[in-house]
Amino acid sequence: MNRDETTVLLEREALSPDAFLLHFQSETLFRSFLPGQFTMVRIPGRSDLLLRRPYSFCDAREGSFSLLVKIAGRGTKALTEVPVGGEVSCLGPLGSAFPFPGDSQKPVIVAGGVGIAPFVAFSRALARRRRAATVLLGGRSARDLYLRSEFEAVGMDVRVSTEDGTDGHRGLVTELLPEALEGGEPKQLYSCGPTPMLLRVAAMARERGTPHQVSLERRMGCGMGCCLGCVVYTRKDSAGEYLRSCTEGPVFDADAIAWERDPYPL
Amino acid sequence: MPDLHEPDLSAEVAGIRLRTPLIAASGTFGYGTEYVDVADYSAIGAIAVKGLYLAPREGASPPRIWETPSGMLNAIGLQEVGIERFVEEKMPRLRELSVAILVNICGSTLEEYAELASILDGVEGVSGIEMNISCPNVHEGGILFGCDPLMAASVTEAVRRRTSLPVIPKLTPNVTDIGVVAHAVEAAGASAISLINTIPAMAIDVETRKPRLANVVGGLSGPAIRPIAVRLVHQARQAVKIPILGIGGITNHEDALEFILAGASAVQIGTMSFVDPSVWRRTLDGLGDYCRRHRVASLSSLVGGLVADVNAVPQGW
Repeated sequence: MNRDETTVLLEREALSPDAFLLHFQSETLFRSFLPGQFTMVRIPGRSDLLLRRPYSFCDAREGSFSLLVKIAGRGTKALTEVPVGGEVSCLGPLGSAFPFPGDSQKPVIVAGGVGIAPFVAFSRALARRRRAATVLLGGRSARDLYLRSEFEAVGMDVRVSTEDGTDGHRGLVTELLPEALEGGEPKQLYSCGPTPMLLRVAAMARERGTPHQVSLERRMGCGMGCCLGCVVYTRKDSAGEYLRSCTEGPVFDADAIAWERDPYPL
Repeated sequence: MPDLHEPDLSAEVAGIRLRTPLIAASGTFGYGTEYVDVADYSAIGAIAVKGLYLAPREGASPPRIWETPSGMLNAIGLQEVGIERFVEEKMPRLRELSVAILVNICGSTLEEYAELASILDGVEGVSGIEMNISCPNVHEGGILFGCDPLMAASVTEAVRRRTSLPVIPKLTPNVTDIGVVAHAVEAAGASAISLINTIPAMAIDVETRKPRLANVVGGLSGPAIRPIAVRLVHQARQAVKIPILGIGGITNHEDALEFILAGASAVQIGTMSFVDPSVWRRTLDGLGDYCRRHRVASLSSLVGGLVADVNAVPQGW
């Protein structure tokens, strides 16, 4: 059941100069969202920002939820400037959630930058069912590896990479993937991050026949399936069609996505 | 003595009874049921469904939307399910909403519009046909029909001949004289007109020097276009006697009243429903309060009630 709820900003944690973890009070959303789902956020009084902006639910504490926001434009900037105690309107929870891995599957998570947002709550949900995931976190620099300790705290096997070598493996996070996919039980991949990273993960998963769920970020006008602004080209058998990343997504089976038709500039 | 505590906010357009004067604009409310959890449907008088062709359509390549100052730019390219699936899968659920249903149709040829009208004529629960002759984002049909008064009249007449339902052409603002087009479709048998569709527009990312939309050009909606839309409704009101459904950036009851005073019998809300699903209840309650405050027993008595003398009242801003 979707709701449009006025929530109060409880706390703003600066994770880096341009990334923040925002905690909002909401008993309802805290209880109702599933990892992978998102909310459409509006800042009352900011009529210069007409459209709501979509954010994945990052984590939940008792009676509150958090959103990981990295400043990328006017909308994200405005949200990070809401004062503690200020109100925002959150529509949700919306969209598809991460499916749980099968009993015999080892979950492997690949996240780039703010792409880690939906995996905090997901890792917590895995931990509650006594499942441990391998979590590969990548960023440009050490300061772009957000919330690493949250994953470690729930017993995930965290491996990191930075492009400048300031933390962990020097290079791309996808370079950590072959080792994580090697041996042992069959794997279930989950990914979220910049498009080049997703393309790479999808190609590697396809080569190995590893099932792969991907969370996509798209511009959205409504989040409710009506504006058709957020579509992703997908293919089932030979027939293709645009599916809505707000309704059929944002979590998709990566094999269904026609990546070659979707070099999205976000 | 009329009961001023309960002003009559209902409307009647071309024989269609609307329990409220607020209509969900085509292309912004899906096939009607998407917002059942979050919007107060009792405040909605009618739903104009997403534009339909005879066959399903894939729509335009993404990116399809962009935000501009107080506006939304879109080029969806009429992604839709086709008339057959609509009638079989969507209409049964729409009928359950007990709200008037306007089915928006689009074609590449005059015959396609006529065929769609003929199919809908026998479908239970359809209150009227809104003809999209104004979409800026498709290559054939759409706006090409709406820009030329003769073509607009031909396609209206073709639809009129194939259905007994009210026929409501949705017009584009992209014309030199809206009065000429409005008059042409009235003479061809239109029951009412919807005014306006989006305004052809464009935005560019200067860093990459690329257009913001894959389609390059899109249609602009939202509060940014409202004064243009109000002016067009006002001008069309002078040209025709048939009712006008006013559309363009309505966010609250004051915006709705601008259109009503300019001559609209009812209004459509689109972009603002994305932004705030409570817009329906808020706007309707605001209209009720306005009527009580101004001792107006029936909202319909305000249609076209523009007072021309601007010097009589001091206006603060």
